[in-house]
Amino acid sequence: MKKSMKRSIRHAKNGHIFGLSEYTVKIITVAVLVILWEFFSRIGYINPLHLPRPSKLIATLWELMTVGYPTGITVWVHINATVWRILQGYFLAACLAIPMGLIIGRSYLLGRATNSIITFARSVATISLLPLAIAWFGVGEVSRVLLIAYGCYWAILTNTIQGVKQVDANFINAGKMLGASRRQLFFRVILPATLPRIFAGMKIALGVGFMVIVAVEMIGTIKGLGALIQQARFYYSSNIAINGMIFIGILGLLISIGLDWLERIMLPWAVGLEEVKR
Amino acid sequence: MSDSFGRGLWASWAGFITLLLIWQIISMTRLINPSIFPGPMGVVNAALHDVPLNRLLQHVGISLLRVGLGFSIGTAAGVIIGVASGWYRQLGSILRTPIELIRPIPPLAWIPLAIIWLGLGESSKVLIIFLGAFFPVVTNTYKGMVNIDPNIIRAAQILGLRGRRLLLRVVVPASLPDIATGMRVGWSYSFGCMVAAELIAANSGLGYLIMNARQMGQIAVIVYGVILIGVINLLTDFVIQEVIIKRKLRWQFSGAS
Amino acid sequence: MSFRNSDIEVVVRHVSKQFPGEDPDVGLALHNVNFTVSTNEFVTIVGRSGCGKSTMLNIIAGLLTPTEGEVLINGRLIDGPGLDRGMVFQYSGLFPWLTAIENIEFGPRNVGKSKAERRALAQGLIELVHLKGFENKYPRELSGGMQQRVAIARAMAMDPEILLMDEPFGSLDQLTREDMQRELLRIWESRKKTVLFVTHGIIEAIYLSDRILVFNPNPGFVRKEFVVDLPRPRQKSSPDFMRYYEEIYEAIH
Repeated sequence: MKKSMKRSIRHAKNGHIFGLSEYTVKIITVAVLVILWEFFSRIGYINPLHLPRPSKLIATLWELMTVGYPTGITVWVHINATVWRILQGYFLAACLAIPMGLIIGRSYLLGRATNSIITFARSVATISLLPLAIAWFGVGEVSRVLLIAYGCYWAILTNTIQGVKQVDANFINAGKMLGASRRQLFFRVILPATLPRIFAGMKIALGVGFMVIVAVEMIGTIKGLGALIQQARFYYSSNIAINGMIFIGILGLLISIGLDWLERIMLPWAVGLEEVKR
Repeated sequence: MSDSFGRGLWASWAGFITLLLIWQIISMTRLINPSIFPGPMGVVNAALHDVPLNRLLQHVGISLLRVGLGFSIGTAAGVIIGVASGWYRQLGSILRTPIELIRPIPPLAWIPLAIIWLGLGESSKVLIIFLGAFFPVVTNTYKGMVNIDPNIIRAAQILGLRGRRLLLRVVVPASLPDIATGMRVGWSYSFGCMVAAELIAANSGLGYLIMNARQMGQIAVIVYGVILIGVINLLTDFVIQEVIIKRKLRWQFSGAS
Repeated sequence: MSFRNSDIEVVVRHVSKQFPGEDPDVGLALHNVNFTVSTNEFVTIVGRSGCGKSTMLNIIAGLLTPTEGEVLINGRLIDGPGLDRGMVFQYSGLFPWLTAIENIEFGPRNVGKSKAERRALAQGLIELVHLKGFENKYPRELSGGMQQRVAIARAMAMDPEILLMDEPFGSLDQLTREDMQRELLRIWESRKKTVLFVTHGIIEAIYLSDRILVFNPNPGFVRKEFVVDLPRPRQKSSPDFMRYYEEIYEAIH
């Protein structure tokens, strides 16, 4: 036991397992799982109502992309609706949260005054506000976008505030010694120094917004990925549900990859940024 | 420090009370229909009259039970799989593949599938909550296992620790901070999933309470419910943060008190 | 080399610094500090960690105000940071979002120098600190020693009369530190400036300075003063050098 474990840890060190690279192992695992899935489905061990076999899923996938579900709404329309809502809510939140965060971060008193409010408002489950939003703004897009904005706002705000507060004192001192006025100090030192943290907040916020929209779309609308899988529930089609979930997953992945890429372009100098807690 | 701290304390109360006052004033001007926009007094009123205490406690109890259950199972599974994946790297490679593939799917997106699989009962909701807790915990646990300072392991090996004793007495404790972080994140996700799942597909619990209130047009009750959820969320997070993390993991925090 | 009275540039008079709100026994960083620095003199403050030397430097820089006493530069009371004083920090304090040359241009840009002027000035300083070819690198791409050289160039871009250096080589490894000590003397000799240097390294202090002020900790004040009367470049192994070392070591302990 001890010898094989030493061997396995040693192998793991250079990533090679059973003589194969880690990447290959992953691909093989996926392939094996899919093949087993298809196999056990065909011989009847897996309930097709609960877990349709991969070949059927792909057929439905094609249907979703071409004919649409339900009645003519293709998956592209759904994706478009979801993405558009996220973008609107997200940018609304960012435009409000970043300036506010910068202002609050600069002032000790303002920070203390708003701290309790922010902590509480952040703990309110965004989705619980949906009934309220519907009561106030109706069942249209406005409610949904506002809800996304609410969800995204706090992550961006708190990270911006922390970012400003945690600007290395050395930077500020250096700026002062190099003749920067208050205005120059803010725009040419504090702002750039805060950018990585703001970006971290924006990444988290996008994740939050994404989760919120999926839930929000399950109530009161027929367009959007959340709506799609909700429809699947009413038509008792796990096929559609799983396909919808796959699309949601891929969309989430693309968003996060996109943001990482954006960060590398906009902030090439910010390496080794620490993990930010909620 | 004494002077600015005093002013800061005053400022935090001032901020909170100002907000309440603004809310009260807006509702009193009756700019918006008071049945749609209740003031603080309206909410308190609703709290006292429209929601009998025993019914409220029942719903809160059910909600907390669900989260507690889903969270516990999710954390247990997450820690076990995370530790196993980190300790046996081959196994880890294989286990992590489906986990990483499924992780981008938000737990809430599982709701329709969960209902198809498990019906409208408790288990479908607990499944969602389980998923909410599982992914952060397993990810952070694995990260903790993998990123242990190799010097600690070497030191322990020199002292004669091997195999399971090495794992349980050194490696896992060293990963505890990351596991704790995962649990904290997992709890807040679980909580959010509970609220959402109850809003969308339940007939008991806090989420249901709010949805029901909307159907009955009791806006003040909705506001009451929303605030209540926020408060409970804060309290439970505070408990986890203070009691568990600060006490059990005191060694992690260095320096002066 | 002695300095005449009329060449006195910096006067520190009865300076005390109490940090607010702390237990008076703990928060009194400096108490009744008095010393002067003459023009183009290289003075080092030596002492253990926590003896207030950085606080003293920050007060002279204008980043902190003394609770009592005053600091005069060329006969005038200081009022916050000024362009007559430049500062180099222990952890370079270089702005990570700017390249090396942009860091150096930061000061001139603040006071409105034109792009061409800034660029020429910065280029000259890059060459002075022997970093030609690294102008467009970001700080994270430079080694510790290179970063400190950029930091020195950046401080000198405003052509201050006084250079304040707060343990600038403290975060470097021993070999790089010794290189930088030689570099600093070379730069100082080519662009004469008054330097006020802070360190806890006795050898470093003796190697670099005209005069050494030993600070006493808790609270900080000038315990003893040494004039280092050795010609430069100094040999760290020479008997004279060792004699200074022993005396200063005694004074600190």
